[in-house]
Amino acid sequence: MASVRVAGLRKRYGDVNALDGVSFEVASGGIFAYLGPNGAGKTTTIRILCGLNERDAGHVSVCGFDVAADPVAVKSRIGVVTESSNLYPELGCRRNLEYIGELYGLRAADRRTRAAELLDMFDLGERAEHPFGTLSRGLKRRMALAAALVHRPEVLFLDEPTTGLDVPSARALRDLVRRTAASGATVFLTTHNLAEAESLADDVAILIRGRIVARGTVDDIRRRVGEARSLVVEFSAAVTGERLREMCLSVRSAAAEGGAWRLEVSDLHDAVRELSAFAEREGLRIEELDAGPPSLEDAFLRIIETGDAGGGGAR
Amino acid sequence: MSRLRRAFAISRKDVESYYAKPPLVTWGLLFPSVLILAIYLKDRSGYLHVAPGIIGMTLLFGATSMAAVSITFEKRAGTLERVLLAPIGPGTIVLGKAVSAAAFGIATSLVLAAGLAALLGMPLARPLPFAAGIILGAGIFSLLGIIASITVREVFEAMTLMNLFRFPILFVSGVFLPLDAMPDWIRPVALASPLTHIVELIRLGVHGESSLGSAWIPAGVSALFLAAACAAAGPVFRRFATR
Repeated sequence: MASVRVAGLRKRYGDVNALDGVSFEVASGGIFAYLGPNGAGKTTTIRILCGLNERDAGHVSVCGFDVAADPVAVKSRIGVVTESSNLYPELGCRRNLEYIGELYGLRAADRRTRAAELLDMFDLGERAEHPFGTLSRGLKRRMALAAALVHRPEVLFLDEPTTGLDVPSARALRDLVRRTAASGATVFLTTHNLAEAESLADDVAILIRGRIVARGTVDDIRRRVGEARSLVVEFSAAVTGERLREMCLSVRSAAAEGGAWRLEVSDLHDAVRELSAFAEREGLRIEELDAGPPSLEDAFLRIIETGDAGGGGAR
Repeated sequence: MSRLRRAFAISRKDVESYYAKPPLVTWGLLFPSVLILAIYLKDRSGYLHVAPGIIGMTLLFGATSMAAVSITFEKRAGTLERVLLAPIGPGTIVLGKAVSAAAFGIATSLVLAAGLAALLGMPLARPLPFAAGIILGAGIFSLLGIIASITVREVFEAMTLMNLFRFPILFVSGVFLPLDAMPDWIRPVALASPLTHIVELIRLGVHGESSLGSAWIPAGVSALFLAAACAAAGPVFRRFATR
């Protein structure tokens, strides 16, 4: 059964077509990633799904309720973590959670129990009475996620949840998202971090200029971008990307990644042969060579470049 | 019942979060206290004529300023969006915000009235019209404050926008000059101002008499202003809350 159904969704802001006939469904349970470059229309979609913005056309239902016709029914079943950690800076963490509980109609005893449970679950127990405004950015994001879960929502919307977080905080938050999904909630995630989508999501949609250009599992999307392969190579001394592309004809693109190069190649066999010859000619050693299917990031970038997913459009 | 409980939760949280904010202390207490002290020092017997007007003005500034603070602070911090995401209608949110703003207006005007009574011997001839004036005024002014401040984002913008109507109506609403001492041409303007009717109710309460005669006229007109503000606040809030 689908938790979220979107059909022919359209939204314009003046002359800008923010959403141009977007259609997709999100099955109950699991994690759905909604990807796209800046300005693609991801946040607009989430805001319409949550009842914050009105649509111009199309049908939108969440948990079986039309968002425009019955916003209260939808809002009581969803939790939302927006891009900013929007809790009350002057109130303590516990008070923030209890207040959100009040807004969702939880009884006083249930509010207290749930707040304590969430503070414990999110490892915020020691900071329960600290004003929210004094927390670090990572802890604020954690609190924002806890606040979205106060009423045990069926669908959780996360808009760029790890943006601006350091690596350990982002990893901790991703673990919490996984645990939330494992508890039975459907997670609808937008993110710029493609590795995050790859590691978390069961199902992905890519939105570009207000239209869905690819939809499916991460593997589906990888397959749709064609035969391109990804290769990571590290030489014993520095080389330039320009020289690599010049000497190895099967290398389509080269991007520096730490001391190594991430290459998108048209044929793996030819690429390995050309790289060996290149190393020999330049008097270098190949220190590391790692081949694999294109990452979601490769696929995403390719889709953005070409504007489609090699025939795999919205479904 | 559940709607009222949630509206009350919003009001209580606003009291916790915003009652000590500097713009509220300045406009709600400091400004009227200094004003009345200045008038008292100039003319010790004449302050009683302006006391009802200053109490009405305190109510106006207290309620509208609290509405401005609670709306614009939350809009800027994104916390208003958090409230909008909860399963409650805009009417409940407006009610919650209006109650906290009205309570602030009532509290500041009563503190001032109590101070005037205790320190300067201000009488209270008819408590009922006085209470009606304070309660109706608090309702009208808090809703007007919400309507004005939801259309902007910053507290200074809200204060500037509200001062466009707060200051002019001070001079046409019998705050400094009783209604029957005003020039004829300004009286229709004065009668169109909600503050006039609130000040007249408070004047009835303090002195036992008013330029409008019976308490029913200012009370009835104030009730109409309150109904109009209630009708307008929900749609305006819905339209501007997410902008």
